[in-house]
Amino acid sequence: MLEIKDLFVSYGMMEVLHGISLKVEDRELVSVIGPNGAGKSTLIKTVMGLVKPTSGQVLYNGQDITRLPAYKRSGLGIGYVPEGRRVFAKLTVEENLRMGAYELKDKKKIADNMAKVYEIFPRLGERKGQLASTMSGGEQQMLAISRALMLSPKMLLIDEVSMGLMPIMVNTCFDVIKKLNDQGITILVVEQNANKALKVANRGYVLETGNIVLSDTAENLRKDDTVQKAYLGG
Amino acid sequence: MFLQQLINALTIGSLYALTAMGATLIYGILGILDIANAGAYLVGAYVGWYIYYATGSIVLGFLGSILLVGLLGIFLQRTIYSPILAKPRTLSIIPLVAAVGLFTISSDAVRLICGPNSKTYDLKFPMEIIQVGKVTIQPAWLLIFALTAVLLAILWFILNKTKLGLAWRATAGDREIALICGVNTNNAMALSYILGYGFAAAAGIMTGILYNNITPALGEVPSYKMLAIIVLGGLGNPLGTVIAGLIIGIAEVFLSVYTKIPIPKDAIAFVVLIIMLLVKPEGIMGRRNKV
Repeated sequence: MLEIKDLFVSYGMMEVLHGISLKVEDRELVSVIGPNGAGKSTLIKTVMGLVKPTSGQVLYNGQDITRLPAYKRSGLGIGYVPEGRRVFAKLTVEENLRMGAYELKDKKKIADNMAKVYEIFPRLGERKGQLASTMSGGEQQMLAISRALMLSPKMLLIDEVSMGLMPIMVNTCFDVIKKLNDQGITILVVEQNANKALKVANRGYVLETGNIVLSDTAENLRKDDTVQKAYLGG
Repeated sequence: MFLQQLINALTIGSLYALTAMGATLIYGILGILDIANAGAYLVGAYVGWYIYYATGSIVLGFLGSILLVGLLGIFLQRTIYSPILAKPRTLSIIPLVAAVGLFTISSDAVRLICGPNSKTYDLKFPMEIIQVGKVTIQPAWLLIFALTAVLLAILWFILNKTKLGLAWRATAGDREIALICGVNTNNAMALSYILGYGFAAAAGIMTGILYNNITPALGEVPSYKMLAIIVLGGLGNPLGTVIAGLIIGIAEVFLSVYTKIPIPKDAIAFVVLIIMLLVKPEGIMGRRNKV
């Protein structure tokens, strides 16, 4: 469904991704783990079109989207949950969700999707008229996920969902991610919390300083000695 | 006497609000100080004057000027501002310098094309001066109140009740995430420019009618006073700008009438701004921390 081929990305003179290739098959849940500064967020931002690669390709369902403007990518059904949540602070919960459904024309579908996310996160339904800035970190993360779900995405890209959240909230988020994947959404997660990320994933990649150093099934990665030492605290 | 001064102050204040609204809308989306809005104010006053004298209709003057200057705004956004901002690592001083340049060009272009001498609107109102007790209300003031109210109501409606307005507010909040949601943020910028320049044009015509005088120097005072108003209003906040415009109008009228402070009227905006920055640096409607 998503294929990244030999991707090079630079910020000015500094190259941060040195020829990354990875694949996410239809209905898969893939995790990219790695330390802070490895280039994980850059990787996702490049797929979303927020960062322009110097070379390489991003293919989505076989279509080359490397040069497609960022605002045209949500129309393909790619949802994005950004690092640090980045909800629209001065918009209400409901307005945030409407922004997530910006590409949808069908009003009934928007209403259905809204009902659906309120069902997944009842807290959001209770607070739909509230400004996003007044909500807790966990609630904002629910909102960021819900905003992406409003699109009825075929694929979700999720950046550091666990960052800055209480452990109980981290578990809730990963449970939701797993459920969404079970419902048929293809998901790519980049995550510092390797333990959680590899527990829910089918496959995983290890990204270190802009290179993929390891890739395997999530189960094998969890048993791998170097991964255990470096990322799983074992 | 007090009521008279208050009405006077609110008239001037609403003109200020309208004049500064363009710069506010543009700052809200692009994060740049577009001094050239004062050029739109000047050009708008002249375009309105020519249309009024060609057609005899002030309504056409307003509509034509708002439309033409609004389109000029989109043209400048597409050809000048967007290309500058699209360059990686643009310093924020660069679009500001471009805006100052555009403003200078607009003043001199008006001087060359329309001549250096002043022109008068000589607008005939179909009504007399209204006298309520000791309070006098000029028909021009009513026009300014009514038109400002209508324009601000239109702005409020677009920003709060339409999908385009939602996209505008989202873009002002986080441009990248708005892009990801599918907003062509170029269109949100274009909305800022057409409304912003159009409003400035309307404010220019109203100033011309109020003082019955337009000259190529018309934009000079607004070019800097506008800054005081938008900073006071919390940079990029439309509601804050309306309040700030009214506050400056009130401060100018009351300080010059009731006190003997020996400062020029046009400096008062900055005195208010300095006091405000000392007391509440984020502006009237600003937030202390940007999330």
